[in-house]
Amino acid sequence: MKSARLTTSPLQRTILLLLAISVSMKLWAADQEIEIVIRDHLFFPSMIEVPANQKIRLLIINEDPTPEEFESYELNREKVIPGNTRTVIFIGPLAPGEYPFFGEFYPRTAQGRVIAR
Amino acid sequence: MFLVTVILVLQEILEAALIISVLLSLTAYFRRYWGEDFTLGHGWIAPSLVLGSIGAWIYAAYTPVVTLWFDYVGLEIVNALIQILIIIFLLCLCYGFNLKRLRDLAWFNLFVGSCIAMVVALGIIREVSEIIIYCQGILSQPNNYSPVLLGSFIALGIGASSGIILYYLLTNSPGAWGLRLSMLLLALYAGNMASQASLLLIQADWLPYTPELWDSSFLIPEFTVTGQLLYALIGYEANPSVLQAGLYSFALLIILGSPLFRMCWQHKTTPISLK
Repeated sequence: MKSARLTTSPLQRTILLLLAISVSMKLWAADQEIEIVIRDHLFFPSMIEVPANQKIRLLIINEDPTPEEFESYELNREKVIPGNTRTVIFIGPLAPGEYPFFGEFYPRTAQGRVIAR
Repeated sequence: MFLVTVILVLQEILEAALIISVLLSLTAYFRRYWGEDFTLGHGWIAPSLVLGSIGAWIYAAYTPVVTLWFDYVGLEIVNALIQILIIIFLLCLCYGFNLKRLRDLAWFNLFVGSCIAMVVALGIIREVSEIIIYCQGILSQPNNYSPVLLGSFIALGIGASSGIILYYLLTNSPGAWGLRLSMLLLALYAGNMASQASLLLIQADWLPYTPELWDSSFLIPEFTVTGQLLYALIGYEANPSVLQAGLYSFALLIILGSPLFRMCWQHKTTPISLK
Protein backbone atom coordinates (compact mmCIF):
# COMPACT_ATOMS: atom_id res chain seq x y z
CA MET A 1 0.00 0.00 0.00
CA LYS A 2 1.16 3.52 -0.76
CA SER A 3 0.28 4.80 2.69
CA ALA A 4 3.30 2.95 4.07
CA ARG A 5 5.52 5.43 2.22
CA LEU A 6 3.95 8.44 3.91
CA THR A 7 6.39 9.47 6.60
CA THR A 8 5.13 12.08 9.04
CA SER A 9 6.75 14.06 11.82
CA PRO A 10 5.35 13.81 15.39
CA LEU A 11 3.84 17.29 14.98
CA GLN A 12 2.05 16.30 11.79
CA ARG A 13 0.83 13.14 13.45
CA THR A 14 -0.53 15.10 16.39
CA ILE A 15 -2.35 17.51 14.06
CA LEU A 16 -3.75 14.59 12.08
CA LEU A 17 -4.89 12.89 15.28
CA LEU A 18 -6.58 16.07 16.53
CA LEU A 19 -8.25 16.49 13.15
CA ALA A 20 -9.46 12.90 13.24
CA ILE A 21 -10.80 13.36 16.78
CA SER A 22 -12.60 16.58 15.89
CA VAL A 23 -14.13 15.01 12.79
CA SER A 24 -15.28 11.98 14.75
CA MET A 25 -16.65 14.25 17.51
CA LYS A 26 -18.61 16.12 14.86
CA LEU A 27 -19.93 12.85 13.48
CA TRP A 28 -20.80 11.77 17.01
CA ALA A 29 -22.61 15.02 17.71
CA ALA A 30 -24.55 14.61 14.49
CA ASP A 31 -26.14 11.33 15.63
CA GLN A 32 -29.72 11.70 14.60
CA GLU A 33 -32.43 10.33 16.88
CA ILE A 34 -35.51 8.68 15.47
CA GLU A 35 -38.43 7.57 17.59
CA ILE A 36 -40.39 4.38 16.96
CA VAL A 37 -43.42 3.42 19.04
CA ILE A 38 -44.65 -0.15 19.50
CA ARG A 39 -48.42 -0.23 20.03
CA ASP A 40 -50.73 -3.26 19.63
CA HIS A 41 -47.75 -5.23 18.27
CA LEU A 42 -47.22 -2.75 15.43
CA PHE A 43 -44.38 -0.32 14.75
CA PHE A 44 -45.28 3.40 14.38
CA PRO A 45 -43.97 4.55 11.97
CA SER A 46 -43.33 1.27 10.20
CA MET A 47 -41.27 3.00 7.52
CA ILE A 48 -38.46 5.29 8.58
CA GLU A 49 -36.24 7.28 6.29
CA VAL A 50 -32.72 7.97 7.50
CA PRO A 51 -29.76 9.72 5.92
CA ALA A 52 -27.24 7.25 4.49
CA ASN A 53 -23.70 7.02 5.90
CA GLN A 54 -24.69 8.41 9.26
CA LYS A 55 -25.08 6.81 12.64
CA ILE A 56 -28.68 6.84 13.92
CA ARG A 57 -29.96 6.55 17.47
CA LEU A 58 -33.26 4.66 17.40
CA LEU A 59 -35.38 5.38 20.47
CA ILE A 60 -37.93 2.59 20.69
CA ILE A 61 -40.88 3.08 23.04
CA ASN A 62 -42.85 -0.06 23.80
CA GLU A 63 -46.32 1.07 24.85
CA ASP A 64 -47.63 -2.49 24.95
CA PRO A 65 -47.69 -4.29 28.30
CA THR A 66 -46.00 -7.27 26.60
CA PRO A 67 -42.31 -7.48 25.69
CA GLU A 68 -41.11 -7.35 22.10
CA GLU A 69 -37.80 -8.15 20.43
CA PHE A 70 -36.52 -5.75 17.78
CA GLU A 71 -34.72 -7.83 15.19
CA SER A 72 -33.15 -7.19 11.82
CA TYR A 73 -30.80 -9.50 9.96
CA GLU A 74 -29.97 -6.74 7.46
CA LEU A 75 -29.11 -4.20 10.17
CA ASN A 76 -27.46 -6.92 12.28
CA ARG A 77 -29.45 -5.86 15.35
CA GLU A 78 -31.39 -7.76 18.03
CA LYS A 79 -32.76 -6.49 21.33
CA VAL A 80 -35.50 -7.38 23.80
CA ILE A 81 -37.70 -4.48 24.85
CA PRO A 82 -39.77 -5.21 28.00
CA GLY A 83 -43.38 -4.03 28.13
CA ASN A 84 -44.10 -0.37 29.00
CA THR A 85 -40.49 0.66 28.69
CA ARG A 86 -38.17 2.41 26.26
CA THR A 87 -34.79 1.54 24.84
CA VAL A 88 -32.10 2.74 22.46
CA ILE A 89 -30.48 0.93 19.53
CA PHE A 90 -27.72 2.50 17.45
CA ILE A 91 -27.75 1.66 13.74
CA GLY A 92 -25.55 2.59 10.81
CA PRO A 93 -23.77 4.30 9.19
CA LEU A 94 -25.80 2.61 6.45
CA ALA A 95 -25.21 2.38 2.72
CA PRO A 96 -28.23 3.60 0.72
CA GLY A 97 -30.86 0.89 0.59
CA GLU A 98 -33.72 -0.82 2.39
CA TYR A 99 -33.30 -2.62 5.70
CA PRO A 100 -36.33 -4.58 6.96
CA PHE A 101 -36.85 -5.11 10.70
CA PHE A 102 -39.47 -7.01 12.67
CA GLY A 103 -40.67 -7.82 16.16
CA GLU A 104 -39.54 -11.37 16.80
CA PHE A 105 -42.21 -12.01 19.44
CA TYR A 106 -45.05 -10.89 17.13
CA PRO A 107 -43.54 -11.25 13.64
CA ARG A 108 -46.89 -11.42 11.84
CA THR A 109 -47.85 -7.85 12.70
CA ALA A 110 -44.70 -6.12 13.91
CA GLN A 111 -42.95 -5.35 10.61
CA GLY A 112 -41.09 -2.30 9.42
CA ARG A 113 -38.25 -1.03 7.31
CA VAL A 114 -35.47 1.50 7.44
CA ILE A 115 -34.77 3.31 4.19
CA ALA A 116 -31.36 4.92 3.97
CA ARG A 117 -31.03 7.65 1.31
CA MET B 1 -48.00 -18.45 17.80
CA PHE B 2 -46.98 -22.11 17.99
CA LEU B 3 -44.39 -21.87 15.22
CA VAL B 4 -43.03 -18.54 16.51
CA THR B 5 -42.52 -20.15 19.94
CA VAL B 6 -40.78 -23.22 18.50
CA ILE B 7 -38.35 -21.08 16.45
CA LEU B 8 -37.69 -18.61 19.25
CA VAL B 9 -37.12 -21.15 22.01
CA LEU B 10 -35.06 -23.38 19.71
CA GLN B 11 -32.78 -20.49 18.75
CA GLU B 12 -31.93 -19.95 22.40
CA ILE B 13 -31.81 -23.62 23.41
CA LEU B 14 -29.56 -24.82 20.56
CA GLU B 15 -26.58 -22.75 21.67
CA ALA B 16 -26.93 -23.90 25.29
CA ALA B 17 -27.37 -27.53 24.19
CA LEU B 18 -24.25 -27.29 22.05
CA ILE B 19 -21.94 -26.00 24.77
CA ILE B 20 -23.34 -28.45 27.35
CA SER B 21 -22.71 -31.37 24.93
CA VAL B 22 -19.21 -30.19 24.11
CA LEU B 23 -18.28 -29.80 27.79
CA LEU B 24 -19.90 -33.14 28.73
CA SER B 25 -17.92 -34.77 25.92
CA LEU B 26 -14.70 -33.10 27.09
CA THR B 27 -15.16 -34.21 30.71
CA ALA B 28 -15.93 -37.74 29.44
CA TYR B 29 -12.64 -37.70 27.50
CA PHE B 30 -10.71 -36.27 30.47
CA ARG B 31 -12.03 -39.16 32.51
CA ARG B 32 -11.10 -41.65 29.81
CA TYR B 33 -7.51 -40.46 29.66
CA TRP B 34 -6.87 -39.33 33.20
CA GLY B 35 -9.69 -41.12 34.97
CA GLU B 36 -7.82 -42.15 38.11
CA ASP B 37 -6.82 -38.60 38.95
CA PHE B 38 -9.66 -36.75 37.33
CA THR B 39 -12.54 -37.41 39.66
CA LEU B 40 -14.76 -34.64 38.32
CA GLY B 41 -16.90 -36.66 35.90
CA HIS B 42 -20.24 -35.12 35.02
CA GLY B 43 -20.97 -33.87 38.53
CA TRP B 44 -20.83 -30.23 37.38
CA ILE B 45 -23.94 -30.47 35.23
CA ALA B 46 -26.62 -30.37 37.96
CA PRO B 47 -25.22 -27.38 39.90
CA SER B 48 -24.65 -25.41 36.70
CA LEU B 49 -28.22 -26.05 35.49
CA VAL B 50 -29.66 -25.02 38.86
CA LEU B 51 -27.44 -21.93 39.10
CA GLY B 52 -28.19 -20.99 35.49
CA SER B 53 -31.96 -21.38 35.92
CA ILE B 54 -32.07 -19.32 39.13
CA GLY B 55 -29.87 -16.69 37.50
CA ALA B 56 -32.09 -16.62 34.41
CA TRP B 57 -35.24 -16.00 36.52
CA ILE B 58 -33.54 -13.19 38.42
CA TYR B 59 -32.13 -11.62 35.24
CA ALA B 60 -35.52 -11.86 33.50
CA ALA B 61 -37.19 -10.19 36.49
CA TYR B 62 -34.70 -7.30 36.46
CA THR B 63 -34.55 -6.88 32.67
CA PRO B 64 -36.94 -3.85 32.69
CA VAL B 65 -34.59 -2.15 35.18
CA VAL B 66 -31.36 -3.16 33.42
CA THR B 67 -32.77 -1.85 30.10
CA LEU B 68 -32.67 1.71 31.48
CA TRP B 69 -29.02 1.57 32.62
CA PHE B 70 -26.26 3.45 30.74
CA ASP B 71 -28.71 5.66 28.85
CA TYR B 72 -30.96 2.77 27.70
CA VAL B 73 -28.20 0.40 26.55
CA GLY B 74 -27.89 -1.53 29.84
CA LEU B 75 -29.06 -4.82 28.32
CA GLU B 76 -26.32 -4.77 25.71
CA ILE B 77 -23.67 -4.00 28.33
CA VAL B 78 -24.78 -6.68 30.80
CA ASN B 79 -25.21 -9.31 28.05
CA ALA B 80 -21.79 -8.46 26.63
CA LEU B 81 -20.34 -8.72 30.15
CA ILE B 82 -21.88 -12.20 30.56
CA GLN B 83 -20.28 -13.27 27.27
CA ILE B 84 -16.91 -11.80 28.24
CA LEU B 85 -17.12 -13.70 31.55
CA ILE B 86 -17.81 -16.92 29.60
CA ILE B 87 -14.65 -16.30 27.57
CA ILE B 88 -12.68 -15.64 30.78
CA PHE B 89 -13.83 -18.93 32.33
CA LEU B 90 -13.00 -20.77 29.09
CA LEU B 91 -9.53 -19.20 29.19
CA CYS B 92 -9.12 -20.26 32.85
CA LEU B 93 -10.02 -23.80 31.84
CA CYS B 94 -7.79 -23.92 28.76
CA TYR B 95 -4.78 -22.20 30.30
CA GLY B 96 -5.13 -23.51 33.84
CA PHE B 97 -5.50 -27.17 32.93
CA ASN B 98 -2.36 -28.88 34.09
CA LEU B 99 -1.85 -32.64 34.25
CA LYS B 100 0.74 -32.42 37.04
CA ARG B 101 -1.59 -30.43 39.25
CA LEU B 102 -4.32 -32.91 38.47
CA ARG B 103 -2.30 -35.55 40.27
CA ASP B 104 -1.12 -33.38 43.12
CA LEU B 105 -4.15 -31.43 44.14
CA ALA B 106 -7.67 -32.53 44.85
CA TRP B 107 -8.97 -28.98 44.51
CA PHE B 108 -7.80 -28.88 40.93
CA ASN B 109 -10.80 -31.00 40.01
CA LEU B 110 -12.91 -28.38 41.72
CA PHE B 111 -11.20 -25.64 39.70
CA VAL B 112 -11.86 -27.38 36.39
CA GLY B 113 -15.41 -28.23 37.46
CA SER B 114 -16.11 -24.64 38.53
CA CYS B 115 -14.84 -23.17 35.24
CA ILE B 116 -17.03 -25.56 33.24
CA ALA B 117 -20.07 -25.05 35.50
CA MET B 118 -19.74 -21.25 35.27
CA VAL B 119 -19.54 -21.33 31.44
CA VAL B 120 -22.78 -23.35 31.31
CA ALA B 121 -24.55 -21.35 34.04
CA LEU B 122 -23.72 -17.99 32.40
CA GLY B 123 -24.80 -19.32 29.00
CA ILE B 124 -28.11 -20.45 30.47
CA ILE B 125 -28.69 -17.13 32.25
CA ARG B 126 -28.45 -15.23 28.97
CA GLU B 127 -30.35 -17.69 26.76
CA VAL B 128 -33.08 -18.81 29.14
CA SER B 129 -33.87 -15.34 30.52
CA GLU B 130 -34.95 -14.36 27.00
CA ILE B 131 -37.28 -17.38 26.82
CA ILE B 132 -38.74 -16.48 30.23
CA ILE B 133 -39.39 -12.86 29.15
CA TYR B 134 -41.06 -14.07 25.95
CA CYS B 135 -43.22 -16.67 27.72
CA GLN B 136 -44.25 -14.33 30.54
CA GLY B 137 -45.38 -11.71 28.04
CA ILE B 138 -47.20 -14.06 25.74
CA LEU B 139 -48.83 -16.09 28.52
CA SER B 140 -50.50 -12.93 29.83
CA GLN B 141 -53.06 -13.66 27.11
CA PRO B 142 -54.83 -16.88 28.17
CA ASN B 143 -55.62 -18.14 24.65
CA ASN B 144 -51.89 -18.43 23.97
CA TYR B 145 -51.41 -20.95 26.76
CA SER B 146 -51.44 -24.26 24.89
CA PRO B 147 -49.60 -23.24 21.67
CA VAL B 148 -46.82 -21.57 23.68
CA LEU B 149 -46.40 -24.42 26.16
CA LEU B 150 -46.53 -27.04 23.41
CA GLY B 151 -44.13 -25.04 21.25
CA SER B 152 -41.70 -24.61 24.14
CA PHE B 153 -41.74 -28.33 24.96
CA ILE B 154 -41.20 -29.31 21.32
CA ALA B 155 -38.33 -26.82 20.97
CA LEU B 156 -36.87 -28.06 24.23
CA GLY B 157 -37.16 -31.63 22.92
CA ILE B 158 -35.49 -30.82 19.59
CA GLY B 159 -32.75 -28.85 21.36
CA ALA B 160 -32.08 -31.58 23.91
CA SER B 161 -32.08 -34.30 21.22
CA SER B 162 -29.62 -32.31 19.10
CA GLY B 163 -27.40 -31.98 22.15
CA ILE B 164 -27.60 -35.70 22.92
CA ILE B 165 -26.85 -36.63 19.28
CA LEU B 166 -23.86 -34.29 19.25
CA TYR B 167 -22.62 -35.72 22.57
CA TYR B 168 -22.74 -39.31 21.26
CA LEU B 169 -21.15 -38.29 17.96
CA LEU B 170 -18.32 -36.57 19.82
CA THR B 171 -17.74 -39.33 22.36
CA ASN B 172 -17.90 -42.13 19.78
CA SER B 173 -15.70 -40.64 17.05
CA PRO B 174 -12.74 -42.78 15.98
CA GLY B 175 -9.35 -42.26 17.64
CA ALA B 176 -8.73 -38.88 19.20
CA TRP B 177 -11.01 -37.10 16.71
CA GLY B 178 -13.91 -36.76 19.13
CA LEU B 179 -11.65 -35.01 21.62
CA ARG B 180 -10.15 -32.82 18.89
CA LEU B 181 -13.54 -31.91 17.51
CA SER B 182 -14.85 -31.09 21.02
CA MET B 183 -11.91 -28.74 21.60
CA LEU B 184 -12.41 -27.17 18.17
CA LEU B 185 -16.11 -26.56 18.94
CA LEU B 186 -15.09 -25.07 22.29
CA ALA B 187 -12.71 -22.66 20.52
CA LEU B 188 -15.42 -21.74 18.00
CA TYR B 189 -17.82 -21.14 20.89
CA ALA B 190 -15.33 -18.70 22.41
CA GLY B 191 -15.12 -16.97 19.02
CA ASN B 192 -18.92 -16.87 18.86
CA MET B 193 -19.10 -15.26 22.32
CA ALA B 194 -16.52 -12.63 21.34
CA SER B 195 -18.39 -11.89 18.13
CA GLN B 196 -21.75 -11.57 19.93
CA ALA B 197 -20.26 -9.40 22.69
CA SER B 198 -18.64 -7.07 20.15
CA LEU B 199 -21.89 -6.81 18.18
CA LEU B 200 -23.75 -5.83 21.37
CA LEU B 201 -21.16 -3.20 22.25
CA ILE B 202 -21.32 -1.78 18.70
CA GLN B 203 -25.12 -1.72 18.99
CA ALA B 204 -24.74 0.22 22.27
CA ASP B 205 -22.24 2.58 20.61
CA TRP B 206 -19.56 1.55 23.13
CA LEU B 207 -17.41 0.14 20.32
CA PRO B 208 -16.88 2.05 17.08
CA TYR B 209 -18.51 1.32 13.76
CA THR B 210 -16.30 -0.58 11.35
CA PRO B 211 -17.24 -1.48 7.76
CA GLU B 212 -18.84 -4.77 6.83
CA LEU B 213 -16.20 -7.40 6.06
CA TRP B 214 -18.36 -9.56 3.80
CA ASP B 215 -21.99 -10.25 2.94
CA SER B 216 -22.86 -13.90 2.44
CA SER B 217 -26.60 -13.41 2.95
CA PHE B 218 -27.21 -14.36 -0.71
CA LEU B 219 -25.47 -17.70 -0.05
CA ILE B 220 -26.64 -18.65 3.47
CA PRO B 221 -29.20 -16.19 4.85
CA GLU B 222 -29.20 -16.05 8.66
CA PHE B 223 -32.94 -16.67 8.96
CA THR B 224 -32.76 -20.09 7.21
CA VAL B 225 -32.41 -23.36 9.16
CA THR B 226 -28.82 -23.73 7.88
CA GLY B 227 -28.06 -20.16 8.91
CA GLN B 228 -29.49 -20.66 12.39
CA LEU B 229 -27.67 -23.97 12.88
CA LEU B 230 -24.39 -22.44 11.75
CA TYR B 231 -25.03 -19.47 14.05
CA ALA B 232 -25.44 -21.79 17.05
CA LEU B 233 -22.56 -24.05 16.01
CA ILE B 234 -19.85 -21.63 14.87
CA GLY B 235 -21.35 -18.15 15.43
CA TYR B 236 -22.10 -17.64 11.73
CA GLU B 237 -22.93 -14.07 10.71
CA ALA B 238 -23.94 -13.23 7.14
CA ASN B 239 -22.59 -9.66 7.32
CA PRO B 240 -20.06 -9.22 10.13
CA SER B 241 -18.13 -6.01 10.66
CA VAL B 242 -14.34 -5.92 10.56
CA LEU B 243 -14.14 -5.48 14.35
CA GLN B 244 -16.57 -8.33 15.01
CA ALA B 245 -14.68 -10.75 12.75
CA GLY B 246 -11.38 -9.58 14.24
CA LEU B 247 -12.46 -10.23 17.83
CA TYR B 248 -13.98 -13.59 16.80
CA SER B 249 -10.64 -14.65 15.29
CA PHE B 250 -8.75 -13.32 18.31
CA ALA B 251 -10.79 -15.37 20.83
CA LEU B 252 -10.62 -18.42 18.57
CA LEU B 253 -6.84 -18.18 18.23
CA ILE B 254 -6.31 -17.70 21.97
CA ILE B 255 -8.12 -20.99 22.67
CA LEU B 256 -6.36 -22.75 19.77
CA GLY B 257 -3.02 -21.67 21.24
CA SER B 258 -3.83 -22.84 24.76
CA PRO B 259 -1.98 -25.71 26.52
CA LEU B 260 -5.23 -27.69 26.87
CA PHE B 261 -5.94 -27.43 23.13
CA ARG B 262 -2.40 -28.54 22.25
CA MET B 263 -2.59 -31.40 24.75
CA CYS B 264 -5.90 -32.64 23.36
CA TRP B 265 -4.95 -32.14 19.71
CA GLN B 266 -1.63 -34.02 20.00
CA HIS B 267 -3.15 -36.96 21.83
CA LYS B 268 -2.48 -39.82 19.50
CA THR B 269 -3.45 -42.76 21.69
CA THR B 270 -6.65 -44.61 20.93
CA PRO B 271 -9.21 -43.91 23.63
CA ILE B 272 -9.65 -46.37 26.44
CA SER B 273 -13.28 -47.34 26.87
CA LEU B 274 -15.19 -45.78 29.75
CA LYS B 275 -15.11 -47.89 32.88
